[in-house]
Amino acid sequence: MSLHPADYLIIFLYFLFVVAVGFIIKKRIRSSNDFLSSNRSIPLWITSLAFISANLGAQEVLGMVASGAKYGIMTVHFYWVGAIFAMVFLGVYMMPFYYGSKARSVPEYLSLRFDEKTRALNAVTFAVMTVFSSGISLYALAKLLEVILGWNFDLCIWIAAGIVMVYTFLGGLTSAVYNEVLQFFLIVLGLSPLVIVALQDAGGWSAIQQQLQPELTHAWKYMGKAEENPMGIHFMSLIFGLGFVMSFGYWCTDFLVVQRAMIARDLNAARRTPIIAAIPKMLMPIIVVLPGVIAIALTQVASDAGDYRIPQDASGGLDYTMTLPSLIAHYYPSGLLGIGITALIASFMSGMAGNVTAFNAVFTYDIYQSYFVKNRSDTHYLWVGRWVTLVGILVSIGTAYIAASYNNINDFLQLVFSFVNGPLFATFLLGMFWKRTTSAGAFWGLLLGTVAAAITHGLTLAEGKGGWIAPMFPISSGMGQAFIVASFSWIANFFITLFVSLMTQPKPEAELRGLVYSLTEKVYGTETMWYKKVGPISVVLLVITILLNLLFF
Amino acid sequence: MNLFNRFNQLGFVIGVFFILVALVLLVGYIATTALHQSINLYSGILMLVFGIFMIRVKDEE
Repeated sequence: MSLHPADYLIIFLYFLFVVAVGFIIKKRIRSSNDFLSSNRSIPLWITSLAFISANLGAQEVLGMVASGAKYGIMTVHFYWVGAIFAMVFLGVYMMPFYYGSKARSVPEYLSLRFDEKTRALNAVTFAVMTVFSSGISLYALAKLLEVILGWNFDLCIWIAAGIVMVYTFLGGLTSAVYNEVLQFFLIVLGLSPLVIVALQDAGGWSAIQQQLQPELTHAWKYMGKAEENPMGIHFMSLIFGLGFVMSFGYWCTDFLVVQRAMIARDLNAARRTPIIAAIPKMLMPIIVVLPGVIAIALTQVASDAGDYRIPQDASGGLDYTMTLPSLIAHYYPSGLLGIGITALIASFMSGMAGNVTAFNAVFTYDIYQSYFVKNRSDTHYLWVGRWVTLVGILVSIGTAYIAASYNNINDFLQLVFSFVNGPLFATFLLGMFWKRTTSAGAFWGLLLGTVAAAITHGLTLAEGKGGWIAPMFPISSGMGQAFIVASFSWIANFFITLFVSLMTQPKPEAELRGLVYSLTEKVYGTETMWYKKVGPISVVLLVITILLNLLFF
Repeated sequence: MNLFNRFNQLGFVIGVFFILVALVLLVGYIATTALHQSINLYSGILMLVFGIFMIRVKDEE
């Protein structure tokens, strides 16, 4: 694939604008709170779009298109079973505690609700995960540009990291959030024409339904038996593993996304952030799942050399990861090609910047300020926040090179995510909704829940992965394995926290006000219009989500 | 509000970005054979409309 000067101009314009946003925001940064938590001053429409854009990184865009091609329309479960319900739950039930407690981060909430050791455990694992995830995004971007455009791998790494560094170093979280909104529109508008032309080429949705095997075009119909659907899982495993544990674990406890709601101007806006974000999130499968389904349909009927096909990997199988770049290369002429490539770059940079800003907030607030240098001036913590951003970027570059030399690091990282996020939701669920949950219960539940995840992974084998203790339980897909690992880790955490809590002394109720549901005054908004109220809009969203599931049953 | 101050508004920045991108597509469509494809024309118009909309939307910042 070669680019026209117009394509380079569009890429240059994008780089120019994201850096310019950093310079514009720099003037507003006067304190560590401005830099690390935007001083809770960001308008609702920006926090909402940044909320979903933080999850619109490399794994989301490339990964969901790849999953659409591999598993078919079942991939929408990540949205219509997973994300929407979890986002509504976060807005309605959990945000009052995150926002109302005045905690600046998720680990800080854990210190208020439980104790410092639970906070430290969460802060350290989260910081390590984010910096690795940021490096993976960087590696994937450089690799993609090297493969499809023939650009120099090292140059891509340093330029992309340099641009993210400039705008996050200058403007901190606000700069990252503003660019995430620009990146959101770029991804949506840049990839929408692709869906239209590819769908037209495939003969429309009806033709795709006729061409493809039925299990690839039905979301639920073939989930009664695990062996009848491409994911190889039963619908109960899907609902519990993905719909409950993994999705709620990610959307309700991962600071990377929760941080976007915590910077809203007031509690009502913070609660509405994930709910408003759920509206475009509900429609995202059109941009990131449908192209994959179209691609597999086109590949199956391709007869001519000029017809579209999903590229093959070295073993001769379909290289699903390259589905989206190959669609862009096939359908986009010069001009729009520059926009498509820029949209891909934007998704990687969005993922990286999101991780770096979450990392510097957690490191500065929950590690440096809490355990190393306390009670210094705000100017000192602002200075630390800026330099931690720089260090985070440099470590990301390091992890990008580690990823380049280790084929399975991305799989490993995804697994670590399921180890950490799965059990964490049990800690929050019990901590927020059961006042009897104790600090010892939370700590041991979290720690042993993570161990349970590792053991489950060691006993199950899917697509050659896992089974390092004994491959006793084969599972047909890696995704199914991730759901089962997350489910067991959640169950272990839940019951260990329950058991240890009953054996130990809880905190006095006076210390738990504003942190636990039953001890907190309920929030009733003063908004009069129904669409500005959290409750009615949540009900409408859930009804539409159920209808979408029925439509593609 | 002068033009420079409007660059403090995210909606305005996004609007200007998409108008410039649309201009690249539309001018390219008219002036070059490589970009003379109807998909560039339609996408350029779409982005131009979106850019103008974002500029005109009153930002609450």
